[in-house]
Amino acid sequence: MEKIILEHFQNRKQAEETVPKNIPEVISNTVVDKFFLEVYSLTIFTARFFKEVVKPPYEFNELAKQSFLIGYKSLSLVAITSFIIGLVLTVQSRPTLAKFGAESLLPVMVAISIIREIGPVITALIFAGKVGSGIGAELASMNVTEQIDAMQVSHTNPFKYLVVTRVLSATLMLPILVAFSDAVGLFGSYVAVNLKGNVTSYLFFSQIFQSLEFKDLFPAFIKTFFFGFAIGLIGCYKGYNSNKGTEGVGKAANSAVVFASLMVFIIDMIAVQITSLMQN
Amino acid sequence: MKQNTTNKIRLGIFVSLGIAVFIVGIYFIGERQQLFRSTFHISGVFKDVAGLQAGSNVRFAGITVGTIENIDIVSDTSVRVEMVVDESTRKFIKKDAIASIGSEGLMGNKILIINPGPGLEKEIQNNDTIKTVQPINLDEVLLSLKSTIDNTSQITKDLSVITTDIQTGKGTIGRLLMDQSLANNFDSAIVNLKLGSAGLKNLMDDAKISFDQNWDSTFVNLRESSAGLKILLEKARKSWLLWGF
Repeated sequence: MEKIILEHFQNRKQAEETVPKNIPEVISNTVVDKFFLEVYSLTIFTARFFKEVVKPPYEFNELAKQSFLIGYKSLSLVAITSFIIGLVLTVQSRPTLAKFGAESLLPVMVAISIIREIGPVITALIFAGKVGSGIGAELASMNVTEQIDAMQVSHTNPFKYLVVTRVLSATLMLPILVAFSDAVGLFGSYVAVNLKGNVTSYLFFSQIFQSLEFKDLFPAFIKTFFFGFAIGLIGCYKGYNSNKGTEGVGKAANSAVVFASLMVFIIDMIAVQITSLMQN
Repeated sequence: MKQNTTNKIRLGIFVSLGIAVFIVGIYFIGERQQLFRSTFHISGVFKDVAGLQAGSNVRFAGITVGTIENIDIVSDTSVRVEMVVDESTRKFIKKDAIASIGSEGLMGNKILIINPGPGLEKEIQNNDTIKTVQPINLDEVLLSLKSTIDNTSQITKDLSVITTDIQTGKGTIGRLLMDQSLANNFDSAIVNLKLGSAGLKNLMDDAKISFDQNWDSTFVNLRESSAGLKILLEKARKSWLLWGF
């Protein structure tokens, strides 16, 4: 028993050395210092993730469980949102295109908007809201109730079990959700086109695939991995490093959503710049 | 445990369907770029490709049959455009076909159009080069339009000068339209003409009355004169002075 407790404290010491907790409160109170300390802390957290992700043993069962909770359980929400977005975008775009007599370009315009930008970004924001806050709150409450400490005592690596599985699940599930989101969004657009017209599904989808190119699909698909990674990582970081106390849970969930949503837009901006540079 | 297995099956279905949607998307986009079909390559050399890009559509008889694969500058006056065309359309495209560059609608992308030639030659082969027609250069059209606009501007300037002259009463038309004295003279001429025609009418009326009044007496006198003349002639015929010799 003594050996286990000793090991626990050793592990904890090691963990605190690797991931400095509550540094902003200890060292400095200025906003700029806090920001850079947060960046430092997040960088160390990310480095630890990459270190742990390749090191066996692998928690496949937990990965499958988290993928189910993160991916499968988000499908209905993402599908409903995408359907509405596809429908609304088409209905809103129709009058402008009709002014130029270019209503036949409606499917193409909506498809490119959904595939390149709206599908990935809207899905990522929904994902950040649902999954980011969920992970943040879950890990924060585990931190508050000292379940993370208990795991360390029981020889389970909490970082590997809790953080790595969730971040990996988020990274892998978001692209699949975006594939569904794009498909459902295009179906919503098809419904909207047929509200005030009569276009066969064959013509609608053949027009779309005539106009799309791989350069529309692949950059949008690749950036969703980064969105998923950022959302999972930030959710875990905020939850794992939350303050001890009940208010820490709410704060962690809230800041996870805000920060993850912001990161989605930042990554999107970088991705668009890189894509346009590569295409020129 | 059973619930855990069910969840794993659901997750498996979810992931499989997601990947299937993605693959279907890739397939249909690749289908457009002829990735999954038997194709052949042809090329054409243009002086100017007018904004045609790799990936643009190639049309034959209004049907999209391929895409532009590559565009290379060969020299300072020629650009080689390589295209990938669906193998099934090869039998319809002859070696004398002509490629031109058009656009999809007024604001659409540039496309390459293969027009059938006289059709006297054999069907086109892989890596053949077809004849081309230079596209209408929008800049040249605009340049021509500019000279037309310049001419129109000059004409309007001249017209402006002419109308100003007319307004100020310069020139024959200006005097005709703007000079008040000419109009007054014209008015008085009309009045005189009117008076003259009235006098002529009176004269004609008087002449008619006079003629009507003197006609009968003139006719009687004439008849009497002719009777006298007849008698005189009769006497003369019988006179020895004329016929006694």
